[in-house]
Amino acid sequence: MRKYIGKRLLQLIPIILGITLLSFALMQSAVGDAVDALYDNAGGGVSEEVKAEKRAELGLDQPFIVQYTTWLGGVATGDMGTSYISGKPVFETFISKLPATIYLTLTSILLTIMISIPFGILAAVKQNGIWDYIIRVMSFMGNSLPGFFVSLLLIYVFALNLKLFPVMGNSEGWKSIVLPTLTLAIAMAAKYTRQVRATILEELNKDYVMGAKARGVKESSILYASVLKSSMLAIVTLLALSIGSLLGGTAIVESIFMWDGVGKLAVDAIMMRDYPMIQAYVIWMALIYVMVNLITDILYHYLDPRIRLEQEG
Amino acid sequence: MKKKSKALALVLTIAMTVGLLSGCGSSTASESTAEKVFNYGTVAYGVANSNVGLNPHEAYSGWSTVRYGVGETLFKFNEAMELEPWLATDFEQVDEYTVKINLRDDVNFSNGKKMTGDAVKACLENLIAVHDRAPKDLQIKTITADGQSITITSAIKSPVLVNYLCDPYGAIIDMEAGVTTDKNVVGTGPYVAKTVTDTEINLEANTDYWGGTPKVAKVNVKSITDGDTLTMAMQSGEIDATQGLPYASLELFQDNGDYTVSSTNTSRVYQAALNYKSAVIQDDAVRKAMAMSMNKEGFTTVLLQGNGVPAEGPFPENFSFGGDAVKAAAYDIEGAKAVLEAAGWVDSNGDGIREKDGKDLSINWLTYTSRQELPLLAESVQASYKEAGMDVRVNATDSYKDFLKAGDYDVFANAFVTAPTGDPQYYFTTHVVDGSDYNRGFYHNDKVEQLVEQLRNEFDTNKRSDLAVQIAQQVVDDNAYIYASNLKMSFVMKKGVTGFTAHPSDYYEITANLDITE
Repeated sequence: MRKYIGKRLLQLIPIILGITLLSFALMQSAVGDAVDALYDNAGGGVSEEVKAEKRAELGLDQPFIVQYTTWLGGVATGDMGTSYISGKPVFETFISKLPATIYLTLTSILLTIMISIPFGILAAVKQNGIWDYIIRVMSFMGNSLPGFFVSLLLIYVFALNLKLFPVMGNSEGWKSIVLPTLTLAIAMAAKYTRQVRATILEELNKDYVMGAKARGVKESSILYASVLKSSMLAIVTLLALSIGSLLGGTAIVESIFMWDGVGKLAVDAIMMRDYPMIQAYVIWMALIYVMVNLITDILYHYLDPRIRLEQEG
Repeated sequence: MKKKSKALALVLTIAMTVGLLSGCGSSTASESTAEKVFNYGTVAYGVANSNVGLNPHEAYSGWSTVRYGVGETLFKFNEAMELEPWLATDFEQVDEYTVKINLRDDVNFSNGKKMTGDAVKACLENLIAVHDRAPKDLQIKTITADGQSITITSAIKSPVLVNYLCDPYGAIIDMEAGVTTDKNVVGTGPYVAKTVTDTEINLEANTDYWGGTPKVAKVNVKSITDGDTLTMAMQSGEIDATQGLPYASLELFQDNGDYTVSSTNTSRVYQAALNYKSAVIQDDAVRKAMAMSMNKEGFTTVLLQGNGVPAEGPFPENFSFGGDAVKAAAYDIEGAKAVLEAAGWVDSNGDGIREKDGKDLSINWLTYTSRQELPLLAESVQASYKEAGMDVRVNATDSYKDFLKAGDYDVFANAFVTAPTGDPQYYFTTHVVDGSDYNRGFYHNDKVEQLVEQLRNEFDTNKRSDLAVQIAQQVVDDNAYIYASNLKMSFVMKKGVTGFTAHPSDYYEITANLDITE
């Protein structure tokens, strides 16, 4: 197991090199640079001479490969550089935004699981019954509504009319996280409820279930001890992808609720062509997906011992 | 029965957990304490505005220093954008290169240290050593300090040096205290920053403020970039005041007894530079017809929903050299048609577009989208120019710099703050003289060159104003630029908020006068 994990972690090196080079190249090919963004957004205007000096100061007048290798050299020695825009160390800025993103990821995943698994099971068990129809309609609606609309709707109802929760995040303790969590969980739970329902139904139609029923095993025992466990593989895969995506930040939800996470940071960095900050985000995303996939593979192994990890095969 | 109770237990568990998470119950009303707290939501603070932190010697962060009451400049602008003393008492133009500035004797930094000539000298020297724009604006050669006065010698004749010192980068900070890692500084203003992040600044009153004790104990400045969030945070009462609401939302608070709106004209102008290198633009009749066919009134009242003022020239009416001091062509489609007709532009094939020498009168209108008003202006001229028989092909792109470099445009429309220093020279030297950085139309007029040169060397304020009017009128008469509108800036606040008013410079927001009376 350790060897397998070590091997997977080693794979991170070429992955990070590849994607950072690619993202650096893509940003370079985009129109404008950090200096244009820095001055143009501020409104007035400065001479081209000032801009040229700023480019030289930031090293943006250097060829692409020089810029990339300079940045890479810094990263190799533990220095992720300084933000072109805020002038603050990239690593510190990035790390300061992570707790908010992780917090929101955990709450929304937890709520998603708490909604989707029971309702998915209920819909499957009561297939074509009234509960099934209600759950399917709700799930259809949840899937169809875009996140920004759901968030504005939730703010309108719960913050403006009922005054239960604040509009903005990070302002009133635990209450601040409720609406962003609901926004994310509604869409995910809608998707997963259908997925859980479909998976459970598939399992329920398998021969071993028929056999167990024929042997007089209680339905609840069949459901919780066998069917649910077998269905977990598909659900874990989906959840892993969602966790990866949530840890990468949710720019729209973060912007609307002013939730100070990495998603908004990344969008701002892209808008402002803040290359060092973008690169930090790219590394983070690579880390997330490699780690989440690794954990998922290990979970697979425990959920279904027939699946062997690479070194065991 | 057992099955049913299990299902019920499951449903109850879920309901209770969701209920716990969603925290049904207590309201969000802010706690009532003796001290007054002012929560301010703004779109103008944050990474995208290049003004994160409070270090005035870095990029545009000085705007935050001055706006949020942490730092002050030696002089400031009044409502008419005229100079007034602030940390200084007065100045004396010793000669064309030298200015002596006398400082107030009763000002302390918020750490208790006295603001002396030496402290101001140290601050300004650091400014010109590390800032990107200030050295070129100020052109300072030497600074000497003597008690409560400083003497600045410039490398060039600098009639507007004191105006430039009103730029927020000129905020005076204690250099011995320096700049903290979170970009906090020690200034002389009514508020002291306790925490500074890239999304929020938390301020407390400077109880030893030289201008009197601030009435509000704490101010929280929050960066809110989403217009809908800003609107709803204002409606829900989470913030007491806001700046930068979308035009559509502003209506919700106007003529509403629960709120007060403070508006002012700014010198941000929406302008169209006509490219003299383009064959069609070189035709005087075409430029004149274009100026006559722009429906400025319709653009400002309908498309900007009243958040602008039709512009005659580059400066708004609160400047002595702005507003009606310059006269532009009136909106007159019939007149424009006659002008084009007389110049030989006629619609011979009946397609609604005029032609001359076999070529359609087609105008390539380049602009960008990051300012929401610019695509609207393009659509407005597209409609009105069509009436006069001119075809407008709009190219609204954030890659506009590529098109500018390639010269692929007849008109470049943009937004620009024309008088950030309260003086007209900056705009003319960047837009209308040969080779200037923003002369996108490659405009040249010998008379304008000569007048701008006079302006550079003129120290008398009234004469500078007269020269500015003459230059702007010539530019307008040549139809080198068409000025569409000046932007109106608005603050919205709860009705109990006082001492919080929009200023034409856009520099001053939180002051010691801020109060919450209800």
